[in-house]
Amino acid sequence: MLHVKSEQTPLCEAALIERIKSGDQAAYATLYELHVKRVYGLCLRLLADQAHAEDATQEVFVQVWHKIALFDGRSQFSTWLYSVASNVAISYLRRQKNWLQKVVSIEHSGMDEQSANDCEGLNGLDKLIVRLPERARMVFVLFAIEGYRHEEIAEQLGMAVGSSKSQYHRARQLLQEWYENE
Amino acid sequence: MNKPNFNNYLNESLNTLDKDIAPQKDLWAGVERAIINSKTAQINTVIWPKITVIAACTIAALVAVNIFYITPEPQPVVAISDYFSAQKNSLLVEYKNKEALTSNWQIQLQELEEAEQAIKQALENEPQNQALLTMLAQIYQQQLDLINKVHAPRWQHI
Repeated sequence: MLHVKSEQTPLCEAALIERIKSGDQAAYATLYELHVKRVYGLCLRLLADQAHAEDATQEVFVQVWHKIALFDGRSQFSTWLYSVASNVAISYLRRQKNWLQKVVSIEHSGMDEQSANDCEGLNGLDKLIVRLPERARMVFVLFAIEGYRHEEIAEQLGMAVGSSKSQYHRARQLLQEWYENE
Repeated sequence: MNKPNFNNYLNESLNTLDKDIAPQKDLWAGVERAIINSKTAQINTVIWPKITVIAACTIAALVAVNIFYITPEPQPVVAISDYFSAQKNSLLVEYKNKEALTSNWQIQLQELEEAEQAIKQALENEPQNQALLTMLAQIYQQQLDLINKVHAPRWQHI
């Protein structure tokens, strides 16, 4: 496994991407090393489950390998990669639901307090975020951490813009409650 | 010591949040395996249709030679049917556990099979009719192409 510094210049990354487009797996391993922590962080916050986040991270990098030809270089590679990652995590969560959860729109609860405290790699605010219920958590992560607009989040999650805003409000209320009771 | 106000805490936490979290497992091994496997699958799906086409052309040529030069009383319909049935069955067995890309491919296949039956009926009256034999071979080929196309590997279509 290659170990590389994460401060890759855009120029180097562009060269790396060109090599990957021609099927260079070693170049892809380097790119993976550069971005895996960021992708895993996003998946873990969205899915609030370590095993699911690991699966989804792998799925992201398999998908990106196959879709890399679609990356035209007009946006930053990282922006494109993280949008693939959030889409994969969202569809991963949908696939985890059984038919009853889909029919009656039951949402996954987040981690319980103990699991959140025991979860490796989570600190401070993250320990509270992963305890949020599914919809509130996803909206909060995409809006407050990833910087998406509510319109974009609504489209990604298949909800109304107003729902996205109210889920964000709900997330903040829960975070505040837990923070103040800590 | 007093806790900071929640809004301050939230803003401060978001500003200093480290977006990177290291996974506890080495995930690269799984990614690498999936990439290599899908490459093999891609090669197979690129090669199989070619093999099928080459085999179909060879058989068609053999049947044609048989009809015109060798056998005085040939049975081309039987030869073509036997060959393509074997091809079709082997493809269906190969793709048995693979998910198809479209849900209505079996309906499309059924339509092609109905066309096949209609041509075979016409050939019963004119067993040496070249136009009908060509049509029959084309219908068989379309069936093989359909089966191949709908079972292309998943990753190609993401």
